[in-house]
Amino acid sequence: MKTLPLVLSLIVGMAALTPAVRAAETSSLTVTFSGIKATTGAILFTVVNSEAAYGDKAPASAQGMLPVSTNSASKVFSGLAPGRYAIKAFHDVNGDGKMNANPFGIPTEPFAFSNNAVGNMGPAKWADASFEVKAGDNIHAITID
Amino acid sequence: MNRRQLLQSFSGVAATTILTPELAQAAAQLSRGAASGINWQIAFADLDADLPRAPMKRIHGRAPEGLAGSLYRNGPGKFHRPGGSVDHWFDGDGLMRAFRVSDGAATLEARFIDTPKRRVETAANAVVQPGFGTAGKPGAQVRNSDDVNPGNISVMSMGGELWALWEAGSPIAMEPKDLSTKGFKTLREDLAHVPYLAHPRRDPGGDVWSLGLSGAQALVWRVSADGALKSADMVALPVASYVHDFTATSRHLIVILQPWVQDRMVLPYADSLTWRPELGTKVLVLDKDDLTKRRIYELPPFFAFHFGSAWEETDGTLRFDGCLTEDARFATTNGKAFMKGTYVPEPASILTLVTLQPDGRATLQPTGVTAEFPRVDGLRSGQTRRYTIHATATAPNVPLFHGVATYDWKTGKSDTYDFGANHLMEEAVFVARPGGSDELDGWLLAPSVNIKTKATELHVFDARRVAAGPLCTWRSEHVLPVSLHGVFVKA
Repeated sequence: MKTLPLVLSLIVGMAALTPAVRAAETSSLTVTFSGIKATTGAILFTVVNSEAAYGDKAPASAQGMLPVSTNSASKVFSGLAPGRYAIKAFHDVNGDGKMNANPFGIPTEPFAFSNNAVGNMGPAKWADASFEVKAGDNIHAITID
Repeated sequence: MNRRQLLQSFSGVAATTILTPELAQAAAQLSRGAASGINWQIAFADLDADLPRAPMKRIHGRAPEGLAGSLYRNGPGKFHRPGGSVDHWFDGDGLMRAFRVSDGAATLEARFIDTPKRRVETAANAVVQPGFGTAGKPGAQVRNSDDVNPGNISVMSMGGELWALWEAGSPIAMEPKDLSTKGFKTLREDLAHVPYLAHPRRDPGGDVWSLGLSGAQALVWRVSADGALKSADMVALPVASYVHDFTATSRHLIVILQPWVQDRMVLPYADSLTWRPELGTKVLVLDKDDLTKRRIYELPPFFAFHFGSAWEETDGTLRFDGCLTEDARFATTNGKAFMKGTYVPEPASILTLVTLQPDGRATLQPTGVTAEFPRVDGLRSGQTRRYTIHATATAPNVPLFHGVATYDWKTGKSDTYDFGANHLMEEAVFVARPGGSDELDGWLLAPSVNIKTKATELHVFDARRVAAGPLCTWRSEHVLPVSLHGVFVKA
């Protein structure tokens, strides 16, 4: 187990984002992050509504940057279309805007996925990380540490 | 009539005429513990729960005056779960043991290291995380190397903590008093999850060196005696060898690059390695003060898990010993076979002197002595020394070792005690006599798994009179799985 074939720095790659706000039948989504250990920097995350977008092959629905000063943080997105969504997040502890990795390419900053899904030497699968956003108000809680 | 009875009847009836050399050999094997005779598998059985501290019973001799402290020992301790088990001995959950000796009495306790791997697998009720020789299963949760870190190889004492060590992830800090787990040791934030080998080398000055390997790259860790990082530098290796141990003199690091080479990236990790004897063994020597100063020596192909501490002579000659085998078959074959309760007999590892000469030549000098788990009198670490302490004595059809010995490099003589095939002998650790400074002025502490009594025992030897047998032996009411490496911390 000397070298895990991880290229995890790609996992939470921040794709170019196009806000996908729709007029009719909208939802709001409150995303909360808890379990934060280092109370510095910011949590950077994307909200996606398709497996393609989850794999960075399509634009994300929304993105967030939440400054961290306590062990939890949250953000509300409104105007989302109901449907299946997933979230990819990392905690930019040192505020350099990047997901840092050790010299062997293993991420050194915390990262997480919606449903608190954990991958096996790669990102969590869409099937494990995706969740339903219904019309109206929704809350999704993620632990990141 | 079974084979044993047949042989016994032969030898009883007309030994001189019927007992051919082949039969005699077979009979000797049987008498020393053949396949059916010795239930060595108990030394690889699960411990299901932590073992609270309990007195050991003194069954022989008396503890030497002045021996006081704790022998901490690590090694895999749980292998099976209802939904799936490890495939390899090296993938069991790290189990920290503490043998505590004071006022002539001894206690034993054992506590599993609380790792993310153990938590995930306890919840799954199955072994799911990939390992050295175990493939990952559905439900594996791997974000980084520490998610698969069982912390199960060795233990060192650093800055008042115990650090449980694996070889492909971070050290795990533990509380010496109760063996509770504090968590992964991140020596610098940007180096989180970088591997830290299980066999660090301590300078006479107190600094501790270790390596973190990834393919043909190594990060050289230098940590002060209080556990603070002093430096971490990357060095390129000439070949992506499997490196379990390295050695050092007071001035040099010596990295032995055997021809078990990572030539692909698959899991389990051991499947990424290919035995390529045509490459030979390369030895990389680095100057501790300037890691860019390097020299590479060439040796014939061999495999070794463990090396003794190295020393330098005035003309620049470097020497160290290792426990060498022809190839990596223990890791590829028996590490798995043990988990199935079987053992494939293989040639024992041989204590061998490695000499790196100033003119660039390198030589191997096998002693012919069966040896594993080499240790030295710690005061001689990186210095000229005369003795190697090691496990020894093998028996056919029983794995591991049954005795303890010291080898004298000056005379070429061994001082050996063999418990016989009913004991699986663990690594012996040297403990200096209070006030003693001469080499081997002190004791050897070594546990064994007593197969017959199904008990873990702790033996104390006079390090200068090993053949005289233990000065003192304590026996636990319990049997713990055989452990790998330990450290003694004086009271």
